[in-house]
Amino acid sequence: MASREVALGSAEPFAGTAAGERGLVELCRRGDAEAFARLVSLHESMVYNLSARLLGDGEEARDLSQDVFLQVYRQLGRFEGRSSLKTWIYRIVVNQARNRQRWWRRRRRERSCPIEDMTAADHAKAAATHPDADAPFERLARGERARLIQAAMLKISFDHRAILLLREVEGLDGDEIAATLKIPQGTVKSRLARARDSLREALLSGDGGAL
Amino acid sequence: MSCHGVQGLLSAHRDGALGAAERRAVALHLGACADCAARWRDLSLALDALADVPRLECSGEIASRIFDRIDMENRKPGLATLFRPRGAARPFMLPSLVPAAMVVVSVIASAVFLDRPEPLPPVVQQRQIEAWTQPPSPVPDWGTERHPLFAYGDVSTPRARAGNVVPAYLLEPTGEGTIFLETVVARDGSVSAVHLIGGDFAEAAPLLEALRKERFEPGRFRGRPVAVSVYRLISRMEVRAPIT
Repeated sequence: MASREVALGSAEPFAGTAAGERGLVELCRRGDAEAFARLVSLHESMVYNLSARLLGDGEEARDLSQDVFLQVYRQLGRFEGRSSLKTWIYRIVVNQARNRQRWWRRRRRERSCPIEDMTAADHAKAAATHPDADAPFERLARGERARLIQAAMLKISFDHRAILLLREVEGLDGDEIAATLKIPQGTVKSRLARARDSLREALLSGDGGAL
Repeated sequence: MSCHGVQGLLSAHRDGALGAAERRAVALHLGACADCAARWRDLSLALDALADVPRLECSGEIASRIFDRIDMENRKPGLATLFRPRGAARPFMLPSLVPAAMVVVSVIASAVFLDRPEPLPPVVQQRQIEAWTQPPSPVPDWGTERHPLFAYGDVSTPRARAGNVVPAYLLEPTGEGTIFLETVVARDGSVSAVHLIGGDFAEAAPLLEALRKERFEPGRFRGRPVAVSVYRLISRMEVRAPIT
């Protein structure tokens, strides 16, 4: 596979449209390495960000992202197109992250927190890339808020964390969340309400009063 | 609308999913109830902060790592393909098992070879075979014809029965010399063996033949008949006066 020579940044012709997505998937099914490289470049940011927020560990998120795209590569032939490719990949991310977290809990019970928090440097680095991060104080405040939010997110359950990230960070609507998590619409609404309340309480119980 | 009812609608209110009447009722309640208003404010702040969390970017190595792993998985297994049947599900299985089996077999063979006992000398082997094949003797080994006792202590001396046929002339000295004999008297009183220990065999041959026909009352050890060796010394030295 001549994969390293492909142009990973030339994904624009396939981005955004359903027809372009179907064409990209079809090319990947035929074993087109360049098409798969475009698919990875289209979704790797989303996959990595969601993985990192779900697991709270950058290195684990990198490993998980690789596993996700490997599963996409192997199972693309089974993708039926009933949901969007993005929703399908979201589902793989959430399922793999859940499995990985269970694995961690089984093998690292001695740790008080099964998954290490991301370091303050990760948040500061992410805050520095924000478009409104020109002012140093604003950058610091944003990094600190991100650290508090991430700490509170790791206190709530995995299901609540997943649905909050899909809704508030990734911007999925109710139908997409239902398709991603394979739960009914009513369950999406009730679980989202409980997850929001859990996050509010987690922030209030910690240092979240500084928000 | 009660506080509990309003708090249950805050999530839907956040999403704008309430109808006009419910939205108006919730807004009125939030304006009048400080607790619910604080709860709504905290919820909005938390969700705004979550939505404002900066995206974490990967270092751009994910794609190349994925292709490395795909390359590794698609790579043919080298020399192992020589041993692999077409379409085998586990291409590394058989080539790994063959050398492993060879190592196991060689280790077991070495252990068996080193643990083999050394061969016994032929005499020992023969004695072992006799000991295994012959039934255990009902009497002790000593006191048998093969291992006769000496007439000493509790072992009585065999006594010759009347009518022994050893001619007297055989016992008389006919020439010079000494004959030293061992007669083994068996448990039934017969003579099982006569050994010439010292003396001329040709001269002693008639005497030996006659002694084999002797009959005795067998020697006894604690009332039990046993084989006993009897020794005889027949001196035929002629003592002459020195010539002066």
